[in-house]
Amino acid sequence: MDTIALIAVAVFLFTYALIIDERIHRAVAAMMGAAVVVFIGIITWEGLLEHIDFGTIFLLLGMMIIVNTARGSGLFEYIAIRTAKLAKGSPIRVMILFAIVTAIVSAFLDNVTTVLLLTPMLLYVARVMNLNPIPFLVTEIFASNVGGAATLIGDPPNIMIASSAGLTFNEFLIHLGPIMVVNMVLLIGLMYLIYGRSMRVSPDERQELVRTLNGLDERAAIVDRSLFNKSVAVIAFVVLLFFIHDRIGEILHTVLPFVDPTMGLEPAEVALIGAAILLFWSRQSPEEIFEKIEWPALFFFGGLFVIVGALVETGIISSIATVMVENVGTTGEAMFIVTWFAAIASAIVDNIPLTAAMIPLIHDLGATMDVYPLWWSLALGACLGGNGTAIGASANVVVIGIAEREGIGITFIDFLKVGMLVLFLTVAVGFGILWLKFAM
Amino acid sequence: MGYSSALIQRKFKDIVGRRYESVLKEYGEFLLADEEMLVPEVRSILIPLDLFAHDITDEAIDILSAYDATISLAYITDAGVVELIEQTLDRASMEEFQAKKEEYGQRLLERTVAKLEEHGFSTQTRMFVGHKGDDVVQMAKNHDMVALSRRYANGESTDLSISPTVLRICQRVETPALIY
Repeated sequence: MDTIALIAVAVFLFTYALIIDERIHRAVAAMMGAAVVVFIGIITWEGLLEHIDFGTIFLLLGMMIIVNTARGSGLFEYIAIRTAKLAKGSPIRVMILFAIVTAIVSAFLDNVTTVLLLTPMLLYVARVMNLNPIPFLVTEIFASNVGGAATLIGDPPNIMIASSAGLTFNEFLIHLGPIMVVNMVLLIGLMYLIYGRSMRVSPDERQELVRTLNGLDERAAIVDRSLFNKSVAVIAFVVLLFFIHDRIGEILHTVLPFVDPTMGLEPAEVALIGAAILLFWSRQSPEEIFEKIEWPALFFFGGLFVIVGALVETGIISSIATVMVENVGTTGEAMFIVTWFAAIASAIVDNIPLTAAMIPLIHDLGATMDVYPLWWSLALGACLGGNGTAIGASANVVVIGIAEREGIGITFIDFLKVGMLVLFLTVAVGFGILWLKFAM
Repeated sequence: MGYSSALIQRKFKDIVGRRYESVLKEYGEFLLADEEMLVPEVRSILIPLDLFAHDITDEAIDILSAYDATISLAYITDAGVVELIEQTLDRASMEEFQAKKEEYGQRLLERTVAKLEEHGFSTQTRMFVGHKGDDVVQMAKNHDMVALSRRYANGESTDLSISPTVLRICQRVETPALIY
């Protein structure tokens, strides 16, 4: 290995260590790593533009604008109160309904915002019921990661994979959607088995909860009715566009003959179109909305792409791919390795940097084998692997962080025990289904 | 704080930034705080009635039913009016006015007691000539809560704003006051 390659590996490992430890902001660590590889010429300006996946960054940006605009209407608080009321005072129902709602919302909007806005409501319900909130919170984390894995836009690893591999929204729904439905059923069953007994309440307590929750007015949560309606309409429109983004030209051509029927929209374009429509229609101040964009997250992604790009430029990724190809006989074996490596490594590293590193490796494997199934293996492993540890995915950190701030301790080990069980169960089920589909 | 806890908090800060504070603020608008969740012990509630505050709304009854309390209904004939009639007309007119008021008050109290007892409340009644503001403030000292119709002692005004007497009572009573 030459000196340049050694430096690229060192920068990669050092930056990833900083990201795991987080003593330095992850965005700063990634930008600093990127600065080093650019400064010493491993990545040129042209290479920088090539390695940064603008599809991922613009998709995240568009969705952040939509979510931050919609947030101001009280949409999420409305959903949280409605869900709590639907449970009719039953703790088990609270757990199941919040798990389902979290999974669905996470599938279409970002996981961090979803759990950030639903967790305070869950804590409130647990406090009113005088129950231990940990079962609710842990279930919410798992549901967010499972739900997010179901769609192209649900979880950052899926966004990165789709953008790099050119996969469509519907392909994600077809290949990962059913797996995640099965996994949600399994997850709810497992959580019921583990925590069900601790969630029993007396009829009086149940009545008390119903009375308290009925006292909450979900309409009061809607701070801007007009923005609320517009947000719901635009989110529905964007989701619809995602369903048809790859054949939008074909559909538009039937009513607008000048549109090229072969035209398709990239997912990032769909998100930015939705963002533009919502900003235009709602007349919200763009300054205020743009201020709320999570710029550090976008720079974090940008930095990661450059650092991994340095490994590609120096031939490290292709060397690993060569070793892998020499030792892997079949697609099924490759799927097994990618799925389980991604799952276990995601639990340790955080699934975003892990996916950033794995994507070029799978591209390189494409020279000698059909990598289409491997994209699904990577998405499955990276998204569900996040369930393994308290730092495996952003949703975990957010929920556990909120819990700690509210005086509820979920220790690393306690989470690990349940998280690893969920990881192995859900990844095994997902891998089994993918294996039957692609390797049989 | 252990390493894992500190790590989670560092990551939380980097991922969430200041968003959690704004979420808490938004929820704070309509979720009850811990201290608000504690239902204060209310054993007796005073409700003054008069010609203008002659009904207790269903919404008020719903709220009052959260407490296992005895309701004291008070019908106060305004001493100022009684005095004015005696001074400007004669004693007989004053007594006639007072008798009519007492008859109306009695009917009103009976009707209200029946309504409250339908909802499972135990009740007490009092009827006397006095000052609608001062006497309510005085009586409130012996009760855990006072519930006031916004139209109590409001004359014939049809506007929906809160009567000045009710506002003055609220400023002076130390017990919690509910305006319905």
